[in-house]
Amino acid sequence: MDEDKAARMQAQLAAMRETYALQLPEKIRQIEETWTGLQNEWNDETFQTLHRMVHSLTGSGATFGFTMLSEAARTLEILIKGLLAEGKTPLSPAHRGELGVYLKALRDASHNADLKKSAKDAAAPGAPHCDANNRLIFLVDDDVHLAENLGLQISYFGYTVRAFPTLGEAFRTIIQTPPSVLLLDIDFPEDSLGGFNLLEQINREIGYILPTIFISVHGELEYRLKAVRAGGSAYFNKPLDAAVLIDKLEEVTSCEREEPCRILIVDDSRSLADYYASILQGAGMETQIVNEPLKVMGPLLEFMPDLILMDVYMPECSGLELAKVIRQQERFVSIPIVFLSAETDMEKQLDAMSLGGDDFLTKPIRPEHLVSSVTTRVRRSRVLRSFMVRDSLTGLLNHTTIKAQLDVQLARVKRVGGKLSFAMLDIDHFKSVNDTYGHPTGDRVIRSLSRLLQQRLRTSDVVGRYGGEEFAVIFNDTDGATAVHLLDEIRRDFGHIRHQHEKGEFSVTISAGVADFPGIDDPAMLNEAADKALYEAKHGGRNRVVLSQA
Amino acid sequence: MVELKKILYVEDEPDIQAVAKLALEMVGGFTLEVCSSGQEALDKAAGFAPQLILLDVMMPGMDGPATLAALRESPDLDAVPVIFMTAKVQPGEVAHYKELGAVDVIPKPFDPMDLSDTIRKIWEDCHG
Repeated sequence: MDEDKAARMQAQLAAMRETYALQLPEKIRQIEETWTGLQNEWNDETFQTLHRMVHSLTGSGATFGFTMLSEAARTLEILIKGLLAEGKTPLSPAHRGELGVYLKALRDASHNADLKKSAKDAAAPGAPHCDANNRLIFLVDDDVHLAENLGLQISYFGYTVRAFPTLGEAFRTIIQTPPSVLLLDIDFPEDSLGGFNLLEQINREIGYILPTIFISVHGELEYRLKAVRAGGSAYFNKPLDAAVLIDKLEEVTSCEREEPCRILIVDDSRSLADYYASILQGAGMETQIVNEPLKVMGPLLEFMPDLILMDVYMPECSGLELAKVIRQQERFVSIPIVFLSAETDMEKQLDAMSLGGDDFLTKPIRPEHLVSSVTTRVRRSRVLRSFMVRDSLTGLLNHTTIKAQLDVQLARVKRVGGKLSFAMLDIDHFKSVNDTYGHPTGDRVIRSLSRLLQQRLRTSDVVGRYGGEEFAVIFNDTDGATAVHLLDEIRRDFGHIRHQHEKGEFSVTISAGVADFPGIDDPAMLNEAADKALYEAKHGGRNRVVLSQA
Repeated sequence: MVELKKILYVEDEPDIQAVAKLALEMVGGFTLEVCSSGQEALDKAAGFAPQLILLDVMMPGMDGPATLAALRESPDLDAVPVIFMTAKVQPGEVAHYKELGAVDVIPKPFDPMDLSDTIRKIWEDCHG
C-alpha cells in the first residue's frame, strides 16, 4: 500500500474512532436502560439482548482503540454468559448486585475512554519469551582450539553449543535463529573490533538486545566500555575459567529456569474462574479451579499452589472463613492468599487481611493487573521460602527440606503406585581439594556439581545438598537401574570438567549410592540403604555409582 | 491457487462494518458485499457468488452458526469457506466453531491494517 493511501486510511479510521466515541454514551445509556427494565420486569429474551449489546462493545471497543472499555465489557459479558449457561435466570438479588457492579465499571471505562490511546500500543515487539528448552549457545571465536575446548566444557552443563570461526558465518546464522546467549570474541583477523561491530549489526537486525558475553585477551577499560556500549551482558578475560563463565551463563539465561507460577483459583462462578484461569494461563502460569469452597483441601495438597486466588462471596462459606481454615494448618501458614471481590469498603478489606489474606484485588480487575499482582506475590513468596528451604551456597534444597521431601514423595508414590529412587552423592577426596587449593575453590567445585545436577537431572527430580560435599537426589517415577544410569552419565561428565586454579587445572570425581522403592518402602531405610551403597562405591575405588542390593 | 477477490461479509454492527469495509476494500483491494443480517446474506449470497464468507457470530435473529448452516443447504454455497469473527471469549470456543465447519476464527477486535493479510493467509492455508 502506498503512503498516500495509508494516510487516507488512517484519516478515515480516526474519523470513525471519533464518531464511535461520540456514540458511546448513548450505547451505554441503552445498556443501562435495558438493565433497569429487566430489573423491573424480568424477561429472558431481553437479557439475551443485553448480552448482545455488551458483546458488541467487547468487539468494537478495542477495534477503535478503547481497550479498557473492551475489557470491562468482556468481563461483564463473561458474567452474563455464565449466568445464562448455568440457567440462573431470572437473576437472584446477589447476582443482580454483582452485575450492577460490573455495569458501573463499564460506564466508568466509557468515561475514561481516551481517544489517543490505541489498542496497538499494548503489544510491543521484544525478545522472544523464555523457553525452558532453549539453551542454545553460539560461540564466535577465530581460535578454533579454544572454541572446541570451551564448547565441550559448557556442553557438560546441558547447553547446546555451536561454534563459528568467522564473523560473516555467525551473522548469517544468528539473524535466522538467534541463540539464547552469544559468546563473542572481539579481535578477529578480518576486523580487530569485529566482535563489537557484529553485535551492533545483529541487534539492529533482530530488533532486541541479544544476551552476549564478550571473551577477549584485551583487559583494558576502553574495551570493556565498548562492550557495555555494544550491549554486552558480561566481559571475561582470556584465559577463561569455565566455572565462572557457567555462573554467568546461568545468570543470563536464568529466567529460563523459573518454574511456572501455580495458582489455585477458588470461585463459585465457573465462568469467572475459567476467565481468570485463561488470563493467568495466557501469562504462562499453571492453574487449577475449585468451584466448591468446601472441596479446597484436596487440590491444595495435590496441586501445591504458589498462591491462592479467592473470591470473597461464596455460598457455603465465605472466602475469609476459608482463608482462616487454610491458615490454621501449619504447612499453609505462608502461602499467599489474594482475595478477589467487588468490595471497595476499606474496612472490610482490612478485616479480610486480618483473617489471613495478603492482598485484596477489586473486581473487575484488568487482566494485566491480575497477572502482575499475582506474579509479584509469587516471586516474593518464593524468595522468602527459598531462605527457609534452600542451601545458601548452592541454592539446592537444604538437609531438612530434602528429607521432608523424601517423606512426601514416598508417601505419594505409595498411595498412587509407581517407582522412586533415592541417591546419595559425595565428592571424592574433597578434603584434599580444600587443602590444596583453598576453601573458595572447594566451594566453587561444590557449586559446579550442584549446577550440573540441576541441569542434567529432570524437573521431576528433587536435588538437595545434604551437607559438606554430600548431595541427595530423589528420582520420582524412576527405578534404581535408571537412576544409576542417569547418575553415571553425570559422574562421567563431572570427571571431565576442568576446574581452574592459579596452581593449575584439576579435575574431581564423584561417587554415588542408589536405593529404590518398592524394594524398600520406608524413608529412613531408603536413606540408610543409599548411604550404604555410597560407602560401597567409595570402598570399591570411588568414581562410580552403586545400586543397593538391599 | 485462485486469487481471492470476492468476499461476502455479514455483520450487524454498523461501526464494525465500516471499519472492516475500509480494511478489506482499501487495504486488501477485495470486492466486498456487505450484509447486515444472516437473512440478507442468504438472499444475496447466490447472486454474488463469493469465494469466501466472513461471518459475525453473534447477530440478532439468525446468528452466525445458524447462517452457516443455512448457507450449507444451498448447493452453490456449500463449498465456500467460511470464517467466523467474534469477540474472543474463551479458549474452547475456537475449536467449537471449527467443528461447526468454519475454516478459522478471527478474533475481535481486529487490527484494520492487518485484517486483509490475516484473511489472505487463511485463504492460502485452506488451498495449500
